[in-house]
Amino acid sequence: MTGQATEYKFSEIIADPVIKERWEKVRRYFFLRESTYDMSNRCNIRCEGCYYFAGEKQFAEENKDPEAWRQLLKAEKERGITFVVLAGAEPSLVPELCGVCYDEIPLGAIASNGIKSLPPEIDYRIHISVWGNDRTSLAIRKAPDMLVRQMANYQNDPRAVWVYTFTPVNIDEAREVTQLLAKNGLKITFNMFSAPVGYSGPLRHTPATLARTAQVMTELLAEFPETVIFSPYNIVAHTRTQGLHELFSCSYPRMNTSTAIGLGRSFRQYRTNLQWDRAAACCVPDTDCDDCRHYAAGSAVVTARMYRHATDPATFSAWLDYVDTYLAVWVKGYEKGPNLCDTPVIPPLNP
Amino acid sequence: MNNDITQTITRIAEIIISELKLEDVTPQTFDPDLDLVDEVGIDSMDLATIALVLRDEYGIRIDEDDYPKLTTVRIIAEYINTKLTSGE
Repeated sequence: MTGQATEYKFSEIIADPVIKERWEKVRRYFFLRESTYDMSNRCNIRCEGCYYFAGEKQFAEENKDPEAWRQLLKAEKERGITFVVLAGAEPSLVPELCGVCYDEIPLGAIASNGIKSLPPEIDYRIHISVWGNDRTSLAIRKAPDMLVRQMANYQNDPRAVWVYTFTPVNIDEAREVTQLLAKNGLKITFNMFSAPVGYSGPLRHTPATLARTAQVMTELLAEFPETVIFSPYNIVAHTRTQGLHELFSCSYPRMNTSTAIGLGRSFRQYRTNLQWDRAAACCVPDTDCDDCRHYAAGSAVVTARMYRHATDPATFSAWLDYVDTYLAVWVKGYEKGPNLCDTPVIPPLNP
Repeated sequence: MNNDITQTITRIAEIIISELKLEDVTPQTFDPDLDLVDEVGIDSMDLATIALVLRDEYGIRIDEDDYPKLTTVRIIAEYINTKLTSGE
């Protein structure tokens, strides 16, 4: 479906009560303004293709002073940041610093490998990375029993959502992982391996693996609708041969020189020494922008392109599904609604 | 189609007040030279919403690449009038 034949007025699109309700639901969260923070330069595992251990940021000195972090977060709040993403290398190794962040800005998410549990008082969303079944994890991440340990740490924890990163070598294992999480009443969303700059290993996707990934994602979304937080448009946006930047023109500072408005103005990516570099600032620094299909990038980049999706009810519904998914994945307590557009919509072209 | 800049300014102010649910200001008292980001506090999603309403109202397309230039109500009004005049 292209939905491009007739251009509708926006008022006509949201005249549909179902679309209108979803639009009003998601627009309440337009106040979210994110920045990201590397919390530690240490990790308790070492995964092939990890973007944190690519580039210079891994060598930044670690600031372990809670008061320095508190002052930084206060300043961040002052300049309008309302949502923090605590990432690299492994935030669970510095729970006291994560707690300071939570005290200052109570909306956010933590990207963790899930091996060490985070204290329950840090009430952020927790994204637990999974890269295949435990045999594949052992091979790629050199860590045994990943899923077993993650599930033990986060069973019945409403903060947790598993983030399955599809690589060319684990596509068909996603079913086994999703089944296991479904059986345990847990949630999963999908990510795409996006190669770091200079990466030439076997995990870089090809047109064939992208197509196969789309097929498996579609099957799992249909079979496990209560477990999988995703939408048909997420599948389209993240599995095309063009990356997110080519499709949607990335709005993070690294690829966007404008400081006038939006992410180009407000987004910063702090390293462990509490410094940031505009030229490198994006949610997954040191990722090859041409290969970027990362879920975190899409959450901002696709969402920001509302205007171009407001062409007809199907395309706008697909965009609403994407935003509804993004909010459910990132904001604890936000409940995803049923997807409004079940068919794959072709992304509107860059102007 | 309305090419009068004052009327366009008033109508844009009305739309912004309505979409952002601003209080203590009317279309007549809205300063058209206020910086919408720094002084009114709008962000890119707000601007995209306003752009869609303006698209409906004036039948013009507002390019996403032009958002950074649209810093005040007066500039938006001039942008719209230019588009209307050029027939884009």
